[in-house]
Amino acid sequence: MFLPSVLAASSFVEVRPGLIFWTIVTFVIVLLVLRAKAWGPILSLVEEREKQITNAIESAKRERAEAEKLLADQKTAIAEARREAAESTRRVQADMEKFRDELMAKSRKEAEELKLSARREIEDQKAKAIAEVRSMAVDLAMEVAGKLINERMDDSKHRALAEQFVQGLPSATSATATRRSA
Amino acid sequence: MRKAMVLFACLFAGTVWASEQAGGHGLANEDKDAEGEDVAGYILHHVADSNEYEFEVPLSHNHIPIHLPRILIPFHDGACTPVADTHGGHGEVVPGLGAGCLDLSITKHTVMMWLAALLLIGSLLIWSNRDKTKLVPRGAGANLFEMLVLFVRDELAIKNIGKEEGPRYVPYLLTAFFFILFMNLLGLFPWMATATGNIAVTCGLALCTFFVTQVAGIRAAGIGGYLKHLTGGVAPWLWPIMIPVEVLGLFTKPFALTIRLFANMLAGHIVIFFLLGLIFMLRNPAVALVSVPFAFGIYLLELFVAFVQAYVFTMLSALFIGMSVAMGHHHDDHHETGASHDHGKAHHLG
Repeated sequence: MFLPSVLAASSFVEVRPGLIFWTIVTFVIVLLVLRAKAWGPILSLVEEREKQITNAIESAKRERAEAEKLLADQKTAIAEARREAAESTRRVQADMEKFRDELMAKSRKEAEELKLSARREIEDQKAKAIAEVRSMAVDLAMEVAGKLINERMDDSKHRALAEQFVQGLPSATSATATRRSA
Repeated sequence: MRKAMVLFACLFAGTVWASEQAGGHGLANEDKDAEGEDVAGYILHHVADSNEYEFEVPLSHNHIPIHLPRILIPFHDGACTPVADTHGGHGEVVPGLGAGCLDLSITKHTVMMWLAALLLIGSLLIWSNRDKTKLVPRGAGANLFEMLVLFVRDELAIKNIGKEEGPRYVPYLLTAFFFILFMNLLGLFPWMATATGNIAVTCGLALCTFFVTQVAGIRAAGIGGYLKHLTGGVAPWLWPIMIPVEVLGLFTKPFALTIRLFANMLAGHIVIFFLLGLIFMLRNPAVALVSVPFAFGIYLLELFVAFVQAYVFTMLSALFIGMSVAMGHHHDDHHETGASHDHGKAHHLG
């Protein structure tokens, strides 16, 4: 076969030390240049971007949590306000009820008292009137009697007699009752 | 579907016709061999390194050789005097390092490597000069680039080396990844050559990883711990066996890196050349119907392999560095709380 002879003659399996040297030199130069000029900026850029994305996600999460907390706070505040309003309405209503009851009771009492005093006044006036009528009746009777017995009657003796007579008359009420029945 | 079938039929017919033509012509065996040797010689010459860059003028047989500077450093007088090639080749060759001559000549692959380095530095400087206030990448290029950078940082460096020590090695891994990627891709352009298809180049890169790995080990474990690790942690009477094994282990890692990258990059190119060379070996243009689509497929595969091999080299480098870093944590147990998972993985794979 031709291949072994070609392989033997060919230089592609031969390791050239010079090329190894140049490879290492080139590689080191490329490494140094790229590390200074390319990898540093690229990697820091990528890291910066990763940091920004992480921060953005973090802050979004934080803001969301805050918003949720605010919403919950507001909900509780609204519920509280509603409860307070209901409570105060209820309290005002109760107060009103109590006040009305008190007012009613007071006015009823006053009316009662007014009625009582009026009745007492009426009783007094009635008693006074009866007494007056009685004394007038005594005077009238005496005058009538005096006129009848020629105006000679001993004043004190005759007065006692007349009073005795008047006393024997029925009382005002029974007198009216008798008159009505008669 | 019908189109694909028609295409397939054409390809098949082409192959049959091509083989019949070859038989019909009744080429003598020596003729075929001569033709084959010619093509093989051309291919191996093409993928091999050389002291000159041959510019192949399109649509002609002309080659314009550009001689590259030769730098020879003799360790003693007359060490670099060219001698006759003893390998059966023609012409004269410069003696090797054993004869006391260091050949630092600029070769085709050196030029390709420098071109890749300049392209890499240039494109990254353009990228890093953009508006830095804009944190969000714009455009397919910037996005792809950032994706690769983040992949190397998160999936290779952090996962294999750990969260604390990983970021320190990110610039190295990024440089290795993009440098290899650029050299791999450069070889896919016309008139260019694949520097990573040269064993000396991959050896140089592997030596860099070897150096970084050892430094990482010494940093993590201290010089004492590093040396102790070389004894494998066994009883002293076993050291004469253990130390050579461990030292051998140190060198098999960069050796694996060297061979894997070199072989992968070289093989794809040779396959493409051979597929195209079939046309000339069989002396039939109809073979092109088969070999050109196949070569095109391999070319696309090569494009993929360019990324995969850059990734594999970087991943293995990160793995080796991670193993070295984890070495320090064995002697220092209270360090292991946070990063034990990462190191644990690296150690299992080791």
